[in-house]
Order: sequence, then C-alpha cells, then structure tokens
Amino acid sequence: MENTLRQKAKELLEKGEVKVVIGYGWNKQKTHTTPVFITKPGDAGKLVFNPLCVNNLSLYLTKKFSDIKALGKPAIVAKGCDIKTIAVLISESQIKREDIVIIGMTCNGVVYKQELWKGELKPEIMPTKCHNCDVRNPLADFVIGEKIDFKAPDEPTGMVFDKIKGLDKSSNTERWDFWFEHFSRCTKCYACRQICPLCYCERCIAEKNMPQWIETSAHQRGNIAWNLKRAMDLAGRCTFCGECERACPANIPLNLVNQKLALVVKDAFGHKAGYDEKVHPPMIVFNMEDEEDFIK
Amino acid sequence: MSNKLLKKENLGKLIDALTSEGSIFVAPKMDAQQVVYAPVINAEEIVFDYIVPVNSFKKFLFPQTEPIAEFNINKEGVVLKGIEIEPKEIIIFGSRPCDAICCSSLRSVFNWDFKDEFYNRREDKAIVITVACTKADDSCFCTTVNLTPDSPNGSDILLRETTDGDYAVETITDKGKKFVERFANIFSLNSQVPSHKPIADVKPIAGIDVKKVKEYLKDTQHYENPLWAELARKCIGCGACTFACPTCHCFDIVDEGSAYQGKRIKNWDACQFEFFTLHTSGHNPRDTQYKRWRNRFMCKFNFYPNKFSSRGCVGCGRCIRVCPVRLDITEVMEKVSNQP
Repeated sequence: MENTLRQKAKELLEKGEVKVVIGYGWNKQKTHTTPVFITKPGDAGKLVFNPLCVNNLSLYLTKKFSDIKALGKPAIVAKGCDIKTIAVLISESQIKREDIVIIGMTCNGVVYKQELWKGELKPEIMPTKCHNCDVRNPLADFVIGEKIDFKAPDEPTGMVFDKIKGLDKSSNTERWDFWFEHFSRCTKCYACRQICPLCYCERCIAEKNMPQWIETSAHQRGNIAWNLKRAMDLAGRCTFCGECERACPANIPLNLVNQKLALVVKDAFGHKAGYDEKVHPPMIVFNMEDEEDFIK
Repeated sequence: MSNKLLKKENLGKLIDALTSEGSIFVAPKMDAQQVVYAPVINAEEIVFDYIVPVNSFKKFLFPQTEPIAEFNINKEGVVLKGIEIEPKEIIIFGSRPCDAICCSSLRSVFNWDFKDEFYNRREDKAIVITVACTKADDSCFCTTVNLTPDSPNGSDILLRETTDGDYAVETITDKGKKFVERFANIFSLNSQVPSHKPIADVKPIAGIDVKKVKEYLKDTQHYENPLWAELARKCIGCGACTFACPTCHCFDIVDEGSAYQGKRIKNWDACQFEFFTLHTSGHNPRDTQYKRWRNRFMCKFNFYPNKFSSRGCVGCGRCIRVCPVRLDITEVMEKVSNQP
C-alpha cells in the first residue's frame, strides 16, 4: 500500500501534475506520524500510511496556509473521513475541486491517540468515528489500498454516542454542571480551532475586540463563551474527524458537543455533513421557500 | 547531603499541617485522565508514577488570568485602583528538575526592566520540592540542554526516591532548610544511608550541539534561510506548546467589564497566534506561521540566553508531547546543529 502511494506521489510530481504532496511521514524516532510536504519526486519514499495517520490533513488546503499554497497545486493523502471535510470545504467555496488531487486511502481505522499504539489496531484504541465509518473505501481521484469489507452500523454506536445518550437523560442542571466542569479546564490555547479544517475564518470572533464578543480570559465566562460559540459554528458542518478533541491539551470531550449538534441537525434538516460537495450545510443557507416564517 | 528522610506515609501529615495553616499544597494528580499539577488536600490524591505532568506549575506563580487593576468611570473622571495581592504560601510537591529551574527563567523576565510584584510575591511564597526523575520518556531531553534528571537548580528541596518507597531529603536553599526545620517532626532523622532508586538514564541527543544552535541563530544571515519554512510548515498556530512550556511568559493586557466599570486583566498570550504581532496599521511582521515558529525557537535558544543568564529551554519535552502535529523541537535543533 505504501509503495503504491509513494509511486503515485512520485509520478504526480514527476509529471508536474502537482507541485506538493501533502501526506504523512515518520517522526525521527518512528514513534509518531507527522504531516510532511513532499515537493521533490525523490522524497516520495518518506510517505507512510498506517493506523497512526490520525491527522486530518485537509487543514493544510485552507487559505491561511499561504506558504503551502505558494508551493503550487497540491495532492493530498486522505482517508475517507478526511475527504468528508474536503467536501465541506468545497461546498463552502474554500477550495475548488479542480485545484486539488485527492489520493484516497482505504482504511481499517486509526488510533484515538498515537500514544495508545502498541503495534496492533484493536477496537478499543480506535475512536468512535472509525466504528461508524461508512467511507473506508473512499471516493477520490486515485484510491490506494485493498477494498475493505466493512458495513457501518445503522445507528451510531460507540463511546461518544453512548455518552451523548447518557447526557440526554440527565437534567439540565446536571448537563450544565458537566460542561461547566469540562470547560473550566480550557486554557484558551485554541488548538481546537487551529487543528479544525472548518475553522478557517480569516479573523476569528475570539480575536475581535471592538467590541469584545468573547472574553479572552480563561475564566468560566470566557471559556464557556468560547466553547459554545465554536460548537454552534460547527453545527451541521462538523464531519466528526475528531481532531479538536485529539488536539485538546486539557482533554475536553469536544466530540460529545459536536456530535450532539450533528445529531440535532440530522433530525431537524435530514443533513449529514461531508457527503456531497454540492450541498450547503443547512445553517448557512437562506432559502425563500423556507417553511419557517420567523426567518423571512 | 542531609540525613533526613521523608516517609511517604507522612505526606498526609505534612499536607494537613500546611493546609490547616492556610497554605496551598500542589502536587501531581489525575484530572481528566492525565497527570497535572493541581492543589490537593490529602495524600491519596497524589500520583507518584508519572514522568512530567502535562501542564507546568508556572500557572501557580504566573496565573493564566489575573486581574491587575480595577476601574470606575464617573462624573469626576476615571478612578483607577491597582490590585495588591497577598499570596498564600504555596508548596509545589513532586516538581521535576526541569520544572524547578523555570522559576529563575520567569524571575529574570519579570524583573528585567519592571519589577512585576504579582510574580515576585507569588514566587517568594512558593516552596519547590522536587523529586528527581527515575523515569523518562522519548520526549525528555534535559541532558541535551545540559540539565540532569537530578539537578538541584531551582528547587528548595530535592528528594530522591529510596528503594523503600520513601524520599531522601536534600535541602538546597535557605527557604528549603527552614521548611524542613519547621516540620522537624515530619522529616525524620535517618540512621542509615538509604539506597536510592537509580536516576533516569536520559542520553543527550547525539546530533544536537546547543552552542552551535545558538551561534547559528545569532547570525542574522540565517534568518531568511528556506530551512525555517521547511521545518515549521506544519505548525498550525495553536498555543498548546507555549502554554505547556514552563518558561514561556508572554502575556496580553485586556479590559473586561462595562463602559463604566471593570477590570484590567493580564492573560497568557502566545507568540504562535496569528494576531500576536499584528500592528494597528494592519501590517504583520510575522505574516506566516513558520515565522512565528522561528520566533519561538529563536526566543528559546538565542534571545533569552543572550539577555538573561537563565534558560529559555529546559528540555521537559512538553511542547513535543502536546503538539497536535508532532512538531518536534529536538528535530529542529538537530537540523540546525548540522547546518554548515
């Protein structure tokens, strides 16, 4: 699989079809994978693909990475779940389909955190998204890897959804206490925002200070305002790549809030984010035929 | 070397004695499935099997969010009132040598041109009790930056684990000595020389020469080397590394409240944030992420050690562990060491 990937990357670079291949490589100790940007065909051998490839590299296709953009047309090594984010980026006019080459990797799942890897991919070290994955055989310009026979469960299952069910059963006060406690650990490092491919605003509301919509202090008010604001912005857009929760140094269970909102949007609008690059997420469209009249 | 012993079973007594006097006892404890420095009220909360806590203890000396003044605007004009703090005594138990040394780094920056009384008063009331490392992971690199897993610098008291599971006590500063005297009933006299657990074997990273890194960075010709873009292209611009770092100290001043009254607050800031250097004119001298990352690296190995005698990087490895894209500072140090 890796050899085919390297061969394809080399070929694309040699033919000049792309100028950079955004993929995964090893860190020096070969304990973790890390994003790599291959610009020379001779470096294609640095590309790897394995269950440690957790990052959603579609982040690097967004406009804020101007120095990556300056390299020229990119090819991106993407798992099925990463391609969902690319679809949202296309639907929101952040990238054009023809401007990128997608090298889709068939995938049996990744680890929740790379530190959990002990040489074998066991279900208990996989994130909830992998247990519900319906894109193990991705749609892409090139698909690399053997076809995978896996049927996603009809109803979302796994730790994240179990916890959401538990929270749904609890009282408002209990839920408030739960989030109050978790958000109190927030340090406002904004790793959640920075790792999120869909947090592409040129100027985040957290950085607007005339007026100051969201207090920058890491006190309860500031932390709750920030985390709730970000959750609302992702409603109907989040594709459950899980990167925000993985990146959070304070282990705030951000998947719970984002997936709860995804379920709400699915119930209310029948929309699931990341399946069609031609469909706009429901929260960002204005429709004259809208059944609700409060909006007109 | 003193001949005092701190028995693990006496930690509870020590915590009780201190907390009953109103002191704060900070130690490594589990919070949200990870070990962090946090206040504890009994010994059962303390985690003993850890490498370094995910956060540093700087937040107890330099809080992430701290009001420094209050203001009121009335008919007569603006009434500004500075906030005076009177911190409680704080004991940092279970510090690591790499963390302990951060106090001198923070003290130099907070006393360089302006004496920051918020920091000074807090640090004056802090007692750092370090436990020498018997374990390390592959992100630890203290020996590469010329520290050791049992270096005493910055600690008031240095503890070494004994094979019996207790601690051999070495007092480093006067503050530490007085602390041990004050709790003479808890720090027991040891009749025999205890056998210590072996100190962690942290090998310096062979390809890194910190002096060479510093020399390379000093030469301004290297500032625009394409190397920086290549090495730091993957940086996503979050503040995880700077907030986890025991020596990063940048802050931002904000006003919170209504138009008529409120507080002036000092908040942690990070040079990795896009708007950190944004000028009012709209110009941003560090307009891409790799330039921000280069700045942090320059700060650690050039600006800081040139300006102060204390350290910019202590080799704790937190920035490596916490980085969502695994940008490993030691890989950059190695590349820079090998530049012609």
